[in-house]
Amino acid sequence: MTSVTHSNAKMTATATTRVLGVLAIAATALMTVLGLLISPADVIQGEAVRMLYIHVPSIWIAYGAFVLTSVSSILFLRGRKRREDRGRHYDRLAGSAAEVGVVFTGITLVTGMLWGKVTWGTYWQWDARLTTTVLLFVTYLGYLALRRLPADPIVRSRRAAVMALISFVNVPIVHYSVDWWRTLHQKASLSVGRRPEITGEMYWTLLYSTLAVTIVAAWLIIHRYRVIRLEELRDEETLAALISSRLDKDDGSN
Amino acid sequence: MDLTPRHEVEAPDEMRQKMHRRRRRTVLVVALVLIAAMAFITAQGLRNATLFFRNADEAVEQRVELGDRRFRIQGRVIPSTVKSESGITTFEIVHDCVVVSIRHSSDPPELFKSPWIPVVLEGSWVIGEIRNVAGSDTHYFASDRMLVKHTNEYASANEQRLTDKPPEGLLDQCLFEVPAATS
Amino acid sequence: MSEVATVVTGWGITIFVIATYSIWVVSRGKAIGQELGIGEMEQLDPRKDAGATTDL
Repeated sequence: MTSVTHSNAKMTATATTRVLGVLAIAATALMTVLGLLISPADVIQGEAVRMLYIHVPSIWIAYGAFVLTSVSSILFLRGRKRREDRGRHYDRLAGSAAEVGVVFTGITLVTGMLWGKVTWGTYWQWDARLTTTVLLFVTYLGYLALRRLPADPIVRSRRAAVMALISFVNVPIVHYSVDWWRTLHQKASLSVGRRPEITGEMYWTLLYSTLAVTIVAAWLIIHRYRVIRLEELRDEETLAALISSRLDKDDGSN
Repeated sequence: MDLTPRHEVEAPDEMRQKMHRRRRRTVLVVALVLIAAMAFITAQGLRNATLFFRNADEAVEQRVELGDRRFRIQGRVIPSTVKSESGITTFEIVHDCVVVSIRHSSDPPELFKSPWIPVVLEGSWVIGEIRNVAGSDTHYFASDRMLVKHTNEYASANEQRLTDKPPEGLLDQCLFEVPAATS
Repeated sequence: MSEVATVVTGWGITIFVIATYSIWVVSRGKAIGQELGIGEMEQLDPRKDAGATTDL
């Protein structure tokens, strides 16, 4: 009988993730207090500006997650023949980051629509920023669907890695769409190398919110990674059981 | 001799194949839906995204070719020109020192009341002699849809107040004066 | 919808989605862990492949 041992599976809880989890909850609580109660209303938008503190960090986290997916995919493609684990570590990292990225892109879209209704006067417009963002969301949903397609794990991971790299092309397009085309959407609120047009308390609340959401996303990616590892172990175990039952059957018939 | 009815117990690999087939079918359906969604989004995007609006000066320049076609125009609302009467809001917008008179026929969004707010209006040119802050014009823009184009500037309501003063540099090169708002 | 209602809805949806996703990830990990018989006190082998842990 072939059996899969779990000697290579760490216990399901580590001190680091526990600390990170508690930190994520505390950071989110403080972010809620700062974003909803302490930071001031905007001179034009009034209370609606508080959407800024979830909308902007969400898309930044999504960008970050998709960068991680792409880098991991490259490392998987480069290392799958050399590495002992055939690059599966990077494949898991790519998959978990992409899923978290999709969740945050979804949040960006929903919060953006709500915010749009009170500022622009409409939930949706097919302008360049909104169109490319929804395209980003759908593309990475496709990537996640591809990861679930039944196939040899390594072949599937290779296809997914290629798709991740193709999908990433849209990330800079989404970010710079507001500069490249005329859009209803305003220019980027946070941008590297550009002076922010946000006054003190609001700016610091936005930066803090980005940090808080980053901690939450890091916790999610680590845990999702571990669940993917568990799913793999389960698949290996199912396969081993199938092989073993087939061998037993063959032995019985001989 | 094994008398177990064959149809009741499936071999594990048969079950696995069946599961795979079902899963493959589901994934294919999902993939098709996603491809259709992407095609729809791209088509919408290509139609609208590249030229989402024309600035007021461009719309005036292209007036002949635009004719009575529907398009979007963008400019900042001159606060002193806003008047509302029986569901019609009239006002003027400015961009690059070109002023366009607007006759808008639906409820403006909440932020429209902010002075000098940039707006995007959907509608078309209508022939009609009209006076505005820059002089007189042969056309006005009839719109039935207004979107407020908010900027990426945020300022604390505790530190700043809304004023009717035009944003820095907006009218510096203009040859006309904008009257102060009466209210 | 008023500004305040919009903000409450937006923040509410965000927190709900993240909380639901977190709970789903953790419980899925626990379920598979149990299925595989990975216990809380399982011995680690730090030299091997990255681990499978799901608890907070």
